[in-house]
Amino acid sequence: MITNMITTIDDYGQSDPDRIAYNYLGQTHTYGELKCQSDALAAHLDQMKLPSGAPIIVFGGQTFEMIATFLGVVKSGHAYIPVDTHSAKDRVPIIAEVASPALVIAVEALPTEVPDVSVMQADELTEVFSQSVQYEMTHAVSGDETYYIIFTSGTTGKPKGVQISHSNLVSYVNWMLSDDFKLPDQPRTLSQAPYAFDLSVMDWGPTMAKGGTLVALPKAVTDNFKELFEDLPQMNLNVWVSTPSFIEICLLAPEFDAEHLPDLAVFLFCGEELTNGTAATLRAKFPQARIYNTYGPTETTVAVTGVEITADILRDYARLPIGYVKEDMTIDVVDEDLNRVPAGEKGELLISGPSMSKGYLNNPDKTAKAFIDWNGKRVYRSGDLGYQLENGLFMYDGRTDFQIKMHGYRIELEEVDHYLNRVPYVKQAVTVPHYNKNHMVDKMIAWVVPAENVHFDSELDMTKAIKSELTKGDMMPYMIPQQFVYKQSLPITPNGKVDVKSIIAEVNN
Amino acid sequence: MDTKETVLSILSDLTGSDLSNNMDENLFDDGLLDSMGSVQLLLQIQSEMGISVPVSEFVRSEWDTPNKIIAKVDSMK
Repeated sequence: MITNMITTIDDYGQSDPDRIAYNYLGQTHTYGELKCQSDALAAHLDQMKLPSGAPIIVFGGQTFEMIATFLGVVKSGHAYIPVDTHSAKDRVPIIAEVASPALVIAVEALPTEVPDVSVMQADELTEVFSQSVQYEMTHAVSGDETYYIIFTSGTTGKPKGVQISHSNLVSYVNWMLSDDFKLPDQPRTLSQAPYAFDLSVMDWGPTMAKGGTLVALPKAVTDNFKELFEDLPQMNLNVWVSTPSFIEICLLAPEFDAEHLPDLAVFLFCGEELTNGTAATLRAKFPQARIYNTYGPTETTVAVTGVEITADILRDYARLPIGYVKEDMTIDVVDEDLNRVPAGEKGELLISGPSMSKGYLNNPDKTAKAFIDWNGKRVYRSGDLGYQLENGLFMYDGRTDFQIKMHGYRIELEEVDHYLNRVPYVKQAVTVPHYNKNHMVDKMIAWVVPAENVHFDSELDMTKAIKSELTKGDMMPYMIPQQFVYKQSLPITPNGKVDVKSIIAEVNN
Repeated sequence: MDTKETVLSILSDLTGSDLSNNMDENLFDDGLLDSMGSVQLLLQIQSEMGISVPVSEFVRSEWDTPNKIIAKVDSMK
């Protein structure tokens, strides 16, 4: 059990400064360095007299400097907003517009200018990190103050910033440290998920609370499978955290097994549905390891249900359960009118408890719609459909709206359409999910009616032109449809709306 | 079907685009393929052509255009 995330990490820096906190492809950093650098940054931020309470955007990749920056920011009493280097070019200015940050820290060089916000460049940060200061924490983020803000997609093209408080985070991390998950005492944990994706909290949160080591796997390595499989055995991981999509890539390599990776004892999955097939393959390759499936929206801090996928579970459930609810949380299953459904019936999941966010940053409208008072408590309307079995296990069963999960990313299809319809070559467009045999979205297909007087030599040229328009702006790369189908017109329902259901049926036929 | 036709048909299925006039198009730069797409490509090559491409041998720069993919597949036949 921890009571404070920041002092817990700092204590390792004091009591055992040579302990390894971070390993970037063999290059290591200690808890002592983490304390020194985050102290130096906190002192520097204090001197800058930034507006109190304003968050700080931190831009970078899978590096130690990112972790040290996050810690320095919260020590100085600010929340951080992580933005990954592989985001859309305009991601930082778009988020800045919503968040009104006090500062942007460019751990890596920004791809574009950010109007009206001061930026601390990488060389300045390096200079700050190299200073040796005695820092006394007096106003670090604590209690209900916001620790981090993760931006997700929003239906109007304006992203929503989910505010996670220190209390939310501690509640989540303590659950991960509990007997529900049998993490090793000295975790060496895969850090593959970008820090802008809250799945990453599942790796750094419990690992740093235990004084373990984060072992980074940057995107440049995972893109080249040859390098990936050369590096993996050298990482000596004992805890694996990823989306099911990523493990599916790894499972393709025959040498990805307990014989070659003997330390791997725990696998944690979140972010999308774990299929029985994937879990069974993994169990066969790592018979001694514990595999956990978890589920949770970003709004309730990473995950709120979890279950170990044992041989019995694999045998009894063709579609795997998402788990038992975290002890201090509640999940109520309700119908469209928010009335509780009879036990075992399907409905929307309302989630409540100490790891539920206070709401979206600077967005009272969206906050009021998603966080509601219900039966005397504040609950988060997840938009996820599911049901609870008699034994307490929850099962997931899709969405109430047009939100999809693809490769772990949460995507609002209406937002994809919003971007598509802004492209000058497009008269009208609708994006629909394509499902694979495991009922998981494997690609997005856009049906496009081209604008009049637009002419390209081929459909490929047209697709390239549309994609190039989309990548120019603030659309996240993972939101861009994989396939474009060109039509003279789109099917229309009797009510005069585009008949999305018939398109979904046709592309999945 | 020969290698070229099969590879183009697999790519067309994955990307939704006919690439026969764009044999030197960089599939990753254009966002036509990503990591999951490259996995699906290898799996399709295996199931349709019976050529097993070890995923641990995959170097992106050797597979980034239709022509390179065809050459790679031919070399493994």
